[in-house]
Amino acid sequence: MSKDIDKLFKDKFKESKTTAPTEAWPVIQAKLKMRRINRLIYTFSVLGFLGLISFMLFSTQTEKTLSKPLQKNTSLKNEVILKGKGVNDVNDVNDVNDVNVNKDKLPVSKPQEDSKKLYATITTEKESKNNMPLEKTSFFKEKFKDTVIEKQVKRIDSLVNSLDHLVDHLKDDLKKEKKKLIKKKDSIDVVNFNKEKRRRWNVIPVFGISNSGRLSDNVTTLGTTRAVTYPDKYFDDNKSSGLIASTYGFNVVFRATNRISIQTGIFSKELRFLTEGLFLSEFIPDVNPTNIIYNPGVEVRFSNTPDMVGSESVSLSQSIVYMEMPFELKYRMFGSSKFNTNLIGGFSFLYLNKNEIRAKSNLLSREIGKASNVLTTSTSLNIGLDIEYHLSKRLVLNSAVMYKKHYNTYKDYNNEYSPYNVGMHVGIGYKF
Amino acid sequence: MSAQAKLYSLFADTLYKVCLKYSRTPEDAQDTLQDSFMVIFKDIKKFKHKGSFEGWAKRVTVNVALQKFRKKSSIRFDDLEESKIPEEKVFIDIEEKDISLNFLLSLIHKLPPQYQLIFNLYVLDEYSHKEISEILDISIGTSKSNLSRARQLLKKEINTMKKLQL
Repeated sequence: MSKDIDKLFKDKFKESKTTAPTEAWPVIQAKLKMRRINRLIYTFSVLGFLGLISFMLFSTQTEKTLSKPLQKNTSLKNEVILKGKGVNDVNDVNDVNDVNVNKDKLPVSKPQEDSKKLYATITTEKESKNNMPLEKTSFFKEKFKDTVIEKQVKRIDSLVNSLDHLVDHLKDDLKKEKKKLIKKKDSIDVVNFNKEKRRRWNVIPVFGISNSGRLSDNVTTLGTTRAVTYPDKYFDDNKSSGLIASTYGFNVVFRATNRISIQTGIFSKELRFLTEGLFLSEFIPDVNPTNIIYNPGVEVRFSNTPDMVGSESVSLSQSIVYMEMPFELKYRMFGSSKFNTNLIGGFSFLYLNKNEIRAKSNLLSREIGKASNVLTTSTSLNIGLDIEYHLSKRLVLNSAVMYKKHYNTYKDYNNEYSPYNVGMHVGIGYKF
Repeated sequence: MSAQAKLYSLFADTLYKVCLKYSRTPEDAQDTLQDSFMVIFKDIKKFKHKGSFEGWAKRVTVNVALQKFRKKSSIRFDDLEESKIPEEKVFIDIEEKDISLNFLLSLIHKLPPQYQLIFNLYVLDEYSHKEISEILDISIGTSKSNLSRARQLLKKEINTMKKLQL
């Protein structure tokens, strides 16, 4: 039966019933609550601010109104009191004995203070003569001022309390909301992970650079040679430092769960060290005082002091290249569908591939031998941070910063002297 | 029960249906529904009692959904000359009982975003081409041509599904 497509859709939508998800209303309620709280905070802030302003205005106003009439009144009262006693001339004030005034306390240069002191000393007279209870009015004014201030303070206290309460409430609500969002995010991640189950593997060819060092200062390329017969030939004090070297290889990552991946691979990794401040020596001892196995035909040796004035200064560059096989776990800390940040932890097996020492001076750069104290197999403990950016469904840009502490590197030294390695590598991985 | 809760219980299902049309997933639809109710509660004083409340609430929901839709999808409307716009009605042979709402929703979601929008607005939410042109800032001709393409695509899709079932 032929039917208009518009009508088909319209009718079906009209007659079909859908039910809104039950989780929607609690979320709306929470949002409404937040909105109310925000409004309250805003209102209270405005009220508090206005209250503070009005309090400040009122207090300055009160000070003015309380201080001005006091000065005026007292001077007036003096006049009234003096007039009341039948004294027309102010100079005759000394003759007024029945008024309880101590004239010694009235310095001539300060009329306002005079009046204040007068006001303070005249008590019964003022009340009886003028029928004006000045002390009482002042007392009431002071009382009034105190109560107004107290009220303002109380109001501000209550505002602060209610704001504190609201902030606590808001914090609780935000925490709950955050938990819900994290749960929701996790569930979305799980859904995405399930969708992407077919693309669990990721192969990443990587290239990087690293710098090496040793945690102990007194290990040089030559190494301390404590068991040799020439104790004055120690190289402990010579300056030794790591050099930047390259790393390349590939990583294979298997995404085991939504958050955890297992990572392995094969790398060629080089450690480079430089020992400086050496001098060529013509003296060839019977016993080798260093950890160098010299190549045949190399007829120079090194010392840390020049044999004669003008001896050639040399540095030794040591290169140790390992084939590295890491076994690491990656934990996804946070991220989105495009971007992930992972914490990496694990260890590596290292197999010695190249062991070379070169002598470098202004005149020569020559491979002279190899280190005798480097073990063929060793291990390292790895930690790092990895960042993934999904370029497409299949391609991932990967970058990691790694710290690796080596163990069992040397024959003669304990692990304290083993090198560490800090490096960064990048690569574009293919997911399948 | 608060007034807001009552309002929600009265209109949630209807508005959720509106949200479903403009959202690719039920989660997106739920988000749109929540945001729509927040706007409704906030702007309820703006309702002037011209027409039904349900109609006003639907319009609010459509506006919220459109905002979200635009954020998520890049939309490029096809421009066709008026003369090239095919005939209005598109007919299809199908038994109505064979199709479900979910099936129709899936068909709508399969449409390119520009067709999806115009088909929803014109056919399901009964906006006129003039209103659509104002809302989406396009010409009336563009609205008509995109609607026509949407219908053609839907017909094609339904026919394909029918063949697959046979």
